[in-house]
Amino acid sequence: MATLLQPEKVLYLVRGEKKIRVPLSQLYFCRYCSELRSLECVSHEVDSHFCPSCLENMPSAEAKLKKNRCANCFDCPCCMHTLSTRATNIPAPLPDDPTKTTMKKAYYLACGFCRWTSRDVGMADKSVASGGWQEPENPHTQRINKLIEYYQQLAQREKLERDRKKLARRRPFMPQAFSQHTIHVVEKYGLGTRLQRQRSGAPISALYGLSLKEGEDQKEITIEPAQALDEVEPLPEDYYTRPVNLPEVTTLRQRLLQPDFQPAGASQLHPRHKHLLMKRSLRCRKCEHNLSKPEFNPTSIKFKIQLVAVSYIPEVRIMSIPNLRHMKESQVLLTLTNPVENITHVSLYTCEEEDPDDINSTAKVLVPSKELVLSGKDAAAEYDELAEPQGFQDDPDVVAFRKSNKIGFFIKVVPQREEGDVTVAFKLRHDFRNLAAPIRPTEEGEATSEAIWLTHHVELSLGPLAT
Amino acid sequence: MPLFEGLGSGGEKTAVVVDLGAAYTKCGFAGETGPRFIIPSEIKRAGSPEAVRVVQYNINTEELYSILKEFVHLLYFRHLLVNPRDRRVVIVESVLCPSHFRETLSRVFFKHFEVPSVLFAPSHLMSVMTLGIQSALVMDCGYTETLVLPESLERVPILSAWEALPMGGKAIHRDLQRGMKIQEARFNLDGSAERPAPPPDVEYPLDGQKILHVKGAIRDSVAEMLFEQDNEEKSIATLLLDTLVKCPIDTRKVLSENLVIIGGTSMLPGFLHRLLSEIRSLVEKPKYRDALATKSFRIHSPPAKPNCTAWLGGAIFGALQDILGSRSVSRDYYSETGRIPDWCCLSTPLPDSVYEAGKMPPPLMKRAFSTEK
Repeated sequence: MATLLQPEKVLYLVRGEKKIRVPLSQLYFCRYCSELRSLECVSHEVDSHFCPSCLENMPSAEAKLKKNRCANCFDCPCCMHTLSTRATNIPAPLPDDPTKTTMKKAYYLACGFCRWTSRDVGMADKSVASGGWQEPENPHTQRINKLIEYYQQLAQREKLERDRKKLARRRPFMPQAFSQHTIHVVEKYGLGTRLQRQRSGAPISALYGLSLKEGEDQKEITIEPAQALDEVEPLPEDYYTRPVNLPEVTTLRQRLLQPDFQPAGASQLHPRHKHLLMKRSLRCRKCEHNLSKPEFNPTSIKFKIQLVAVSYIPEVRIMSIPNLRHMKESQVLLTLTNPVENITHVSLYTCEEEDPDDINSTAKVLVPSKELVLSGKDAAAEYDELAEPQGFQDDPDVVAFRKSNKIGFFIKVVPQREEGDVTVAFKLRHDFRNLAAPIRPTEEGEATSEAIWLTHHVELSLGPLAT
Repeated sequence: MPLFEGLGSGGEKTAVVVDLGAAYTKCGFAGETGPRFIIPSEIKRAGSPEAVRVVQYNINTEELYSILKEFVHLLYFRHLLVNPRDRRVVIVESVLCPSHFRETLSRVFFKHFEVPSVLFAPSHLMSVMTLGIQSALVMDCGYTETLVLPESLERVPILSAWEALPMGGKAIHRDLQRGMKIQEARFNLDGSAERPAPPPDVEYPLDGQKILHVKGAIRDSVAEMLFEQDNEEKSIATLLLDTLVKCPIDTRKVLSENLVIIGGTSMLPGFLHRLLSEIRSLVEKPKYRDALATKSFRIHSPPAKPNCTAWLGGAIFGALQDILGSRSVSRDYYSETGRIPDWCCLSTPLPDSVYEAGKMPPPLMKRAFSTEK
C-alpha cells in the first residue's frame, strides 16, 4: 500500500535540532507547541512489555524479574522460531498396581521449522504441559555474587571515608570535641546522628551501617583470589584427523544467543525463553507532553493518545505529472486534503530567493496566488451519494475538482536543469484551530478557539525529465 | 542474590553496562552474571544491502553520530527494553579508543537519550576485577587489534607499558578472503620440526546453493598469522614479553604469574595452549633471556567466557551503587563543560577536586579502591 500512495514524493520539513525532510505520514504534531515533530526529535519511552507469541502483557516489575523473557514460550536454539509443545503417550506403570500399565502423557518441545526437538539435547520429557522446562544455570553465579559482595564492602568503606573527609573539610571551625577521635567513634558504632541526617536518601548504606555496628571485624568479607593455572588444555589430537561434522558445530549466531554458555556443540544448545517486545510512547522534548501513547492491551492496535500529523495538517499529494521538459512550463495536478472538521484556508507561496530551507529544488514553480478554501471533513458525507453543491466559487484555472474535503489544483513547473530529477519546493500556510487550548470563559457568540497560522515547507519530487 | 536486590524502593535502578567492540557488542545490566545480548556491532540501513559497522574511527562526526544514535536506540528498545532516562550507563572501552569516538558516543548518550550519567571504564582494568586479585597482565585479543596492558598493585594500569598489534580476528578474515598465503605451521605439540598432516577438508554450504570448499591446509595455517613474527619480530606472544620488559623489575614476577587473556579471538580452540608454548619458547631466546629472570607463566580463568570478561567486570563495578555515582560523568557536568574527562588530556579539572588534595591523578586512573584503614 505504501508504494501505491508513494508518500516519499512529498516531503515536509521538520525544524528540530537538525532539519529533516520526511513524508507527512511519519510525522507527529505537538498541539501545545504547534510544531511538527519527527521521530528524531521526540523522546522515546518504554510503555509496556508483551510476549510476541502468546501476546500476553507483562507488568514491568515481573518483566524485570524474569529478565524480559516470557515464562511460557521458548525459542528454538537452532533457528530462533517459537517452539511448540507436543504430547505423546508413553506407557507408565500405575502407582498402586505395578503390573498394569496405563498411558500417560509426556510433553516435549519441538520446532515446526527446523524439526529440532528437546530430546536432541537430552532434555527429559515432562509430565506437565507448561512450567516444567527450566533453563540451565550459569555455573559461575556463586563466585560472581561473592565478588560483588566483597567489592561492595570495599566501596562502602571508601564512601564512608570520603564522607568523613567531606565532613572534616566542611567544618573547619568545629569544636574541639568533635575531633578525629569522635569521628572514629562515630564510625565504629554506626552512623552518627549528623551523618545520618545528611544522607537521608541512602537506606542501603544505613543497612550496612547497622551491621558494622556490631564490630568491624564481624562482617569482613574476604574472598580468595583466583588461582592461576600453569597448564592449559591443549588442542585435542583428533582435530587433525577427525572430519568435521558440520551439523554438530554451532554457528556463531547460535552460540552468541546464549552468552553464558556459548556451546560449541549443537547437542548442548538449550532452548531459551522468548524475549519480550515492548510498546513505545513518544514525548515532545520541549513541552513534555505525550505525542503517542499506545493501548495497554497487546492485541489492540489503537492509541490512547495519537497526535499524528496527518490528522492536523493538510496533506499534499501528487495526482498526475505531465511530460516535463527542460525550460518548458508544464502543469502538475496536486490534491490537498483537509483532515480537520472545520473549514481551512490554505495559501501557497513560492520560496524566496535565498531561502535557507530551499536547497533541493531544481525547478521553478508557480503556485496559485489566491487562497484555497477547503471544507471540513465530514464523516457522514462519505456515504451520502447526493452531495450538495458546496457553493464555493472556484477559478477553473486553479482548481481542477472539489470533492468533500479534498480539492485538486494546478501548479506550473519549469524545470531548470537539463538532467536529473525535478524537485520543487513551496511554502504551505494554513490556519489551525487549537482545540487543546484551555477554553476561557467566553460569552455567547464568540469563537471558542483562536486560529493560528502555521507555515510548512513542502518539497515534491516529480521524477525525471521526459526524454 | 545480594540482600538489597529485594528492596525495590530504596536505591536506584541497576545501571546499564555496554561493551562496544569492533565486531560484537555485549550489553546487559549491572549485577548480573552475563550480558543479556551479544549482538554484532552493525546496523542495517534502508539504502545499502550491507550492514554498516558501528565502530568506525575514520568517518566524520555527523555520520558517526547518526550511526551511533541508531545503534544505541536498538540496544535500548529492542534488547534491553528499558527507559534510557532512568539508568546510569557504564561503557567498557579500550584505553586506545580515539577521543573523537568517545566524545561522539557521550554526546549521543547525554544529548539524545538524556541518561543521568556515563562512566567510561577501561576494559583491562575491568577484567582484573572479575578475579579478585591485585595485579595481572591482561591481553585483549579482539577483532581489530591485540592490546596488552599490565595492571599492578592496587589495580592501577601501568600505562607506559602498553603494547599493541593490529592482529586479530579481522586480520584472519582478511587473509581468508584474499585466498591466502599459506604459512607453514612452525610449531608442534611434540616439538618436532615436521609439519603434521593437514586436517581434512570441509565442504561448507552457503546460502543453500553454493558450497565453499575449504582445504584442510588452510584450516590449520590461517591462524598461524597471529603467531608468526613480522619484520619487527613482533607477534602476539612477543607482545606479552615486551610488556614485561617494560614493567618495573619488582612487578615482573607477579605479573608473569597472573596472565589474563580476554577477547573473542582468544576463544579459538587451542589458542591458550599455543600462546603459552610460544611464550615459553621465546623466553629462551637471547633477546629475552637476559632481560627477564622469571620463567614461570600462569594463566587465569575468569568466571566468564573470554569475550564477556570485560563486560562482567563492568557489571560488577556497575553494581557498586555507592561509588558509581561519584565516579561517573553526570549530565550536569557534561552540560557545563561539554566534554568528558580523558586520560590523555590534562586540561580537564576533576569534578571533586576538593577531596583529592595532594594527589591529582587523571580521573580514569584513580585507585579503584582504597584499602587504608
